[in-house]
Amino acid sequence: MAGSLGFAALGTGADALASGADTRVRYWNLFSGGDGANMIAMLDAFRKENPGIDVKDSTLQWGNPFYTKLAMAAAGNRAPELGVMHMGRVAGFSPGRLLDPWDEALLAKYGVRKEDYNPALWNRGVIDGKLYALPLDIHVQLCFYRKDVLKKADLLGDDGRMIPVTSTDEWFDVLKKAKSVQKKGLQTIGLWTNDQNFQWWFFVAFYTQLGGRWFNDDAPANTEVLFDVDKATQVLEFFRQHVTDGYVIPGAPTGEQFINGAPFTWEGNWSVPVFSGAKLDYGATPLPPVFGKQATHAESHAFVLPHQSGRGGATNEAAHELAAYVVTHALQWAAGGHIPAYTPTLSTAAYKKLEPQNEYVSAMDHQATEPKVWFAGSTGVLAQDLGPVVVSSTMGSAKPDAVARTMKSHLTKLLASKNPMDGKTAAQGGAVA
Amino acid sequence: MTTSAQTVVAPARAKTAAATATVRRKQGFQHGGWFVAPFLALFALFVVWPLLRGVYLSFTDANISGDAASFVGLDNYREALNDQAMWDALGHSAYFTLLVVPCITVLAFLLAMLAHHIERGKWLWRLCFFAPFLLPSTVAANMWQWLFTQGIGLFNETFGLTTPWLTDKSYAMLAIVIATLWWTVGFSFLLYLAALQGIPDHLYEAAKLDGANAWHRMVHITLPMMRHITGLVIALQALASLQLFDQAVVMMDFSPGPELSTRSFVQYTLEQGFTSYRVGYASAMSIIFFVIIAAVALARMALLRNREEGTR
Repeated sequence: MAGSLGFAALGTGADALASGADTRVRYWNLFSGGDGANMIAMLDAFRKENPGIDVKDSTLQWGNPFYTKLAMAAAGNRAPELGVMHMGRVAGFSPGRLLDPWDEALLAKYGVRKEDYNPALWNRGVIDGKLYALPLDIHVQLCFYRKDVLKKADLLGDDGRMIPVTSTDEWFDVLKKAKSVQKKGLQTIGLWTNDQNFQWWFFVAFYTQLGGRWFNDDAPANTEVLFDVDKATQVLEFFRQHVTDGYVIPGAPTGEQFINGAPFTWEGNWSVPVFSGAKLDYGATPLPPVFGKQATHAESHAFVLPHQSGRGGATNEAAHELAAYVVTHALQWAAGGHIPAYTPTLSTAAYKKLEPQNEYVSAMDHQATEPKVWFAGSTGVLAQDLGPVVVSSTMGSAKPDAVARTMKSHLTKLLASKNPMDGKTAAQGGAVA
Repeated sequence: MTTSAQTVVAPARAKTAAATATVRRKQGFQHGGWFVAPFLALFALFVVWPLLRGVYLSFTDANISGDAASFVGLDNYREALNDQAMWDALGHSAYFTLLVVPCITVLAFLLAMLAHHIERGKWLWRLCFFAPFLLPSTVAANMWQWLFTQGIGLFNETFGLTTPWLTDKSYAMLAIVIATLWWTVGFSFLLYLAALQGIPDHLYEAAKLDGANAWHRMVHITLPMMRHITGLVIALQALASLQLFDQAVVMMDFSPGPELSTRSFVQYTLEQGFTSYRVGYASAMSIIFFVIIAAVALARMALLRNREEGTR
């Protein structure tokens, strides 16, 4: 008995000795691969500067398993001090019960203020007047293009970048020219035609370009579906035309074909390290404003404070300090293709030198996002419901106008359905700003 | 004297005999009980309790976070039975079952015949046909995902095709069926092989003497002798196939497949529980699925009994 006690005491003593720290911050994230390595490098830098804080980071599997674990930990009061979420998921994550609000004064103490952010992005993290999500980045959908191919088709401007496109006619003209000079046997553009997530993200982008709305989200609560079937049909027909005009090989691997010489591919900005690693001569712009207005789909990784019943004191302050440090030292993060949310980073000389990041940084000001409702967010209910429907139109198994009507009926049903976390529908004020 | 003594002793002896029997029985139970206890404890903890808990949850609006749920009566069941997506998912599982069961039954039988009759390298054939079954589902599914990948996959390359196996809704389920056949045929193959080896040689010898050729021997001896094992293979495969989940989910990268075409009942239940956080609703769907599976199993038993009575 005494022996085991002594052993236990020895154990904790050894732990403290090993880290030499007295404040422990447990931090859960979902970053693997290149992002994971960048995050760990930033954490290591923080550890070096703050030896008094012991950062215990855990990387969990991306997607639903992560959110399930985070929710259960928060509900069972075993939550870590700090976590990461997709911004779109915050509204559905029962802020106030599963998430604790940030202390903006504490954040300011460590150098992060509201003024340093794009206001729309900052406000996405604000629910019932409190900040629940501190944005680390935005990650956007981009139009990647091969400079070597476009040069042959005379589609590059004097600055060496793709000529601007402002209408669908111009866009298809560009594709036609590119197709005439590209390597045979490859598709002209990768569109992820079969992928329910990408097709959904692209839809959100172009539907926003058309000025389409989802719900009356300016009202105190979302009570009415304002989804515009005509605009949606226009977007769906635009996608479909890529297939019917033969610019896409449905099911062909997108990134691989791009590396092999396909002129275009639409991908998330996380493909930047992949294409740069392959030493391609390429550029990347936000998705082309073919409907006249700039807008590309953007989602955001954001720091959150999972609910702890006794949150406060030194550990809570350390969590604030760590989050603020990572947010303000995000240049490394930008190497992964993401656009740092902390805008002072974007005007540094080092960031401005990053290619092709400096070409699409304007996406920060033209974000197309999902509506702020409990069922939105990365791989959430909304995407899972509507994504496959968009795919069915692009792939030609359903007509665009019929699909647009289906989408509207799905949205109506979702608006009337209850958030399992608090039993309220979006119309009843289930988490709005 | 002796007789009376005997008459006195006899019941006493009988009594002690009876007593030792109960003691023995009691001891037997005690010993046996202790041996079974670890299993019973785990069984109760991981099967009985979750099952009962699932039934309870299916009448509530419980969410994933585990906080207090309220009783909603039959609402979940009512909603589920009106949920088109659930019926679609059930349809996908049923479609998969209808494709897999006949294919696997025929294929397993043919392979067993082959392995039974080929004289040279018997062990090699048996190993080849059975080995894939030993792979974990994730390994088998991942491998076939690579084989089917468009542009770089070996499958299309070999047969000179450009079929979008994994990304088109008309092919996705077929791809899963092909992978499943390769992966699981070994189990039924083994059942058939054992049954083939169990047919007494004298039946064939007698038939030969009577002048039956190979075809006759097959139709009149082998196939009838295989009837019971075929019933077993079909039943086991049907029950396993209805529970389609792991290989489909892995091959489709954890998505419900192109245009939801490979979303099985199990996968939809999981989505409701862990994407939509509706544990109560997902529990209700599990119970519905349990009833369906049980109905299939009972139907099989009823069929079997009828058939046995018919042959009698």
